[in-house]
Amino acid sequence: VSAPATYDAADRARRLQRVAELLAEAVTPQEVLDAILTEGVRAAEAHAGAIGVLAEDGKTIELLAQRGYDPEVMAGWVTFPLDADLPMSEVLRTGEPVFITSIAERNRRYPALSHQGQEGHALAVLPLAVESAVFGGLSLSFDRDMEFEPERRELKMAFARQAAQALARSRLYAAEQSLRKRMTFLAEASELLASSLDYSRTLRRLAQLCVPGLADWCAIDMLGPNGEIQRLAVAHEDPEKVRWAYELQERYPPDPDAPHGVANVLRTGEAEFLPSIPQKLLDRAIGDDEELRRIVDELGLTSSIAVPLNARGRTLGALNLITADTHPPFTQADFELALELARRAAIAVDNARLYREAQRGANAAQALAYVADGVVLLDPEGIVRHWNPAAASITGLSEEDALDRPVSEVVPAWDALTSHVPLVAPGAAARPVTVPLVLGGQERWVSVSGVGFAPGRRVYALQDVTEERALEKARSDFVATASHELRTPLAAVYGAVRTLRRDDVELSDDDRTQFLEMIESEATRLARIVDQILLAGQLDADAVELELSECDPSDIAARVLESAQLHVPKTIQLSLDVDGSPKISCDEHKLRQVLVNLVDNAVKYSPDGGRVELRVRNGDGSCEIDVVDQGLGIPPSERERIFEKFYRLDPQQTHGVGGSGLGLYICRELVERMDGRLSVESEPGKGSRFRVELPAR
Amino acid sequence: LLCRVNLSASGMGVVEAENGREALELARRERPDLVLLDVMMPDVDGWTVARELAADDRTRDIPIVFLTARAEAADKRMGQQLGGVGYLVKPFDPVMIGDFVENVISRVERGEREQLTRGITSAGGP
Repeated sequence: VSAPATYDAADRARRLQRVAELLAEAVTPQEVLDAILTEGVRAAEAHAGAIGVLAEDGKTIELLAQRGYDPEVMAGWVTFPLDADLPMSEVLRTGEPVFITSIAERNRRYPALSHQGQEGHALAVLPLAVESAVFGGLSLSFDRDMEFEPERRELKMAFARQAAQALARSRLYAAEQSLRKRMTFLAEASELLASSLDYSRTLRRLAQLCVPGLADWCAIDMLGPNGEIQRLAVAHEDPEKVRWAYELQERYPPDPDAPHGVANVLRTGEAEFLPSIPQKLLDRAIGDDEELRRIVDELGLTSSIAVPLNARGRTLGALNLITADTHPPFTQADFELALELARRAAIAVDNARLYREAQRGANAAQALAYVADGVVLLDPEGIVRHWNPAAASITGLSEEDALDRPVSEVVPAWDALTSHVPLVAPGAAARPVTVPLVLGGQERWVSVSGVGFAPGRRVYALQDVTEERALEKARSDFVATASHELRTPLAAVYGAVRTLRRDDVELSDDDRTQFLEMIESEATRLARIVDQILLAGQLDADAVELELSECDPSDIAARVLESAQLHVPKTIQLSLDVDGSPKISCDEHKLRQVLVNLVDNAVKYSPDGGRVELRVRNGDGSCEIDVVDQGLGIPPSERERIFEKFYRLDPQQTHGVGGSGLGLYICRELVERMDGRLSVESEPGKGSRFRVELPAR
Repeated sequence: LLCRVNLSASGMGVVEAENGREALELARRERPDLVLLDVMMPDVDGWTVARELAADDRTRDIPIVFLTARAEAADKRMGQQLGGVGYLVKPFDPVMIGDFVENVISRVERGEREQLTRGITSAGGP
């Protein structure tokens, strides 16, 4: 600034007017400062000027701008204390201007300045105040000594008032602009955070959004499931630098126990704000690594904000903003913005995770709703937390009855049952145990396997194996039955042959004949049992072929009776009663087999003798063939079961009524394959009536 | 028939019953030296016959040999519990039945009845 000559009073007033117009036009703080320090300083007859303002802490004065001073000298005056014995400090403390006419006066009044350059002259420091609140000071230096007569003082004060007004207005404007910018940024960030449930992608875009507007660097780290630090995003305006940052991360992985920075924030959940990064801190982080020192120097980090992403009392991650070469160091407002941003990001992450968990839970529940195995989940207190429909159908207890109740209340025998079921670790092979479960008076056999996970939590899979078990039991009963059944005729045949071959015994002719008859009939019995076993196997495999032809049922019945007559005990009276005999289409051989079996049964279950009658009747579009006896009869509970494979009325066979347990099963299967029906009516103690119905032709 | 012929051949007297009820009557009337008892009989089964013989003072001491197609361990245990002195599983060789019965009777007379009963679940027949 070239020092102006002195002006006359009118000139000074005119120049001040011009400055006032310039200040009114200036909008931003920079424009105002420019106007004050160029036109303003010149109009005030000064050759240099500086503006200081009270810092946010209220104890420090920050130099905002200066013109005309030696920059090297001013570098030492970036900030200085409010309570210092300096003219600017005094003005801010008192709100009164300080006018110093010469360097000698300055040195006398402010000894602290006496070692500063001695070539100066007069000095004026004026308060910058709005509505009597002092927020700064304007220092003007003159290139000569000057008596500040009242009119001059008044003009200088008027200039300071105008400057203060303009500066305050522009700072307000700047603050408002900055606020608007922050609000816009927050709105944009919020919109971004709400845009997707893929929070990883959203956070990456958020980091991108932070540079370069908010910071030079932005990094987002998340806490992994095992407490490890997972870098989610790094952003910088220059993609090359981002690549470089990732490389750096590879080479220098973050130390989760580091006392400062992201690790500390993740560990403590507390934010960390470094308005300027102390060299000490960098030195400690770098250690003796010269390579790292070179990198850090090149980065030129100036300030850092690290804020936690906290949600529902948990720290999910951290947002780290850093200023370096281009962005000015962070202010308190930046820190507050970062806190707000992190708060919103944390909520978004938490929501996304909750949603995903809920979704996963819903999917799992859906899968469990349709799986055939019962699934029961118990918490550490033994409370039922899941009870799927299959569990409900196996146990007969609805989800509503079971959920959120102690399992020992839901199924009283639960603890006793599951005490045999080993709890395996997740992923280990299941070790199912089959246990009986009595529910509502009904016994079910359930295969139970258990998995223990998390402390005290257990999941059980239930499978109803009642049918399989019954079948298995029937099968083993069958093996026992078949072996009994085969042993008896075998014993007779073998015994008869052995006896016949004795040469030390003289057998009567009668005995000899009886032995031969025994061999014949028992061998026939053996063959029939073997046939039945084979036929049952064929029926199972659906490999029985029918040879259908037109038959007369009364004819078949007569022949069955005829051959039965040959071997029934004398106590049994066989008879045939035909009342209409419609022609039917059937496999004659198979129908005869059915009737032979039914007649044999009737005889077998009439140990005290009686009448066994075969009746042939015209049914409604069908032919009915009944086999009626006066024997033991069948208890109502057994009437359907007798048609089951291997089922026997007297499974222990102690009553000597032999059979493979296959006869009626084979009969019903054969009749049904001929499109007919086999049913039974019976009164215990009075006898039974088996009815074969076959469609008439 | 098989047993009768073969036992007679060994010089023993044999009476036969058609079923359990008849067997009980015969045993009470005839007091045989030994009963060969089929388990699977119409009406009253062999187990019941054995139980009733044991409950009757007149027949309590008659040794019983079970004769059956039931070869399972559980059945043999049943025969043992009911105090049988022998358990023959079908099919067996009827030619040997005479020697077997003679042997059992003589061992019972020697006071080895309990050993015979214990032997049911371990050893086989003739």
